[in-house]
Amino acid sequence: MGLIISISIFILAIIVNQSMIVGQTTAESVLDFPKSDIQDLRSEIFRMRMAEVDQNPVIEDIQIISLIRKSAIVYIDNTSEILIIHYNNGVTSYNETIRF
Amino acid sequence: MVNESGILYTIEGLSASILMITTAYLVVSTTMVFTPGDSHIIDMQLEQIGNDALAVMDTPVSYNALSPLESSIKDNDPNAFRSRFLQYINTVKPGSTIGSDKIKFFSEVFYRKGDRIESYPFADSGDVYTGREHMVKVSRMVFIRDASIISALGPDNRPQSLLIEVTLWRE
Repeated sequence: MGLIISISIFILAIIVNQSMIVGQTTAESVLDFPKSDIQDLRSEIFRMRMAEVDQNPVIEDIQIISLIRKSAIVYIDNTSEILIIHYNNGVTSYNETIRF
Repeated sequence: MVNESGILYTIEGLSASILMITTAYLVVSTTMVFTPGDSHIIDMQLEQIGNDALAVMDTPVSYNALSPLESSIKDNDPNAFRSRFLQYINTVKPGSTIGSDKIKFFSEVFYRKGDRIESYPFADSGDVYTGREHMVKVSRMVFIRDASIISALGPDNRPQSLLIEVTLWRE
């Protein structure tokens, strides 16, 4: 009886001990995933596409700013029938193709 | 006399000794002290607050209007940006007596000129920075249709995409 109780206390102590590491790795993986970067990129491209402006300089803005400030390679292919977005920041890669 | 009542006694003794030695080994070997700051949970929450506030500010209030973020950058109005952004990130509960949160920020706008990226400083929350806490950097791309006012600060006078980078920390 005493043996059973002591073994169960031991297992609970291991669970408490490992819980801080679990919390840290979960928070780190949330920080590493570029969810807001990808959402921001898509909203910027759609806003640009709906504006009546010359789009090639704006696409180059987006590609060079993403490369230098956010360390992410972005490729955008934008014509009236197809929109291709490719994003890769070294850890996460995102591809999207839309045909109109 | 040989009988079986000693077997369980011996086995209990052996397993108790193994338990004690393993516990002592675990206690001695895992001597890393984890503080709540090490777990990055607070940093993740602060980054989420910053990203959400910028996303809300970049939403137009009515159809075909400019978003508050775009108009404050286009007209080069750091005070409008500062008051709105501080209101979004520091409000704990509207009308509460608890007061507000104490997040401060500093922001910069990056633009492309030819092949290079240059920047100019934008709004900040004033005050003195003590720099005690961790900081988080959030950013948002802003599409500017009319760059005539900000072209005095460096960007080309054409419709372009800028990046606003905001550094946040809790004072």
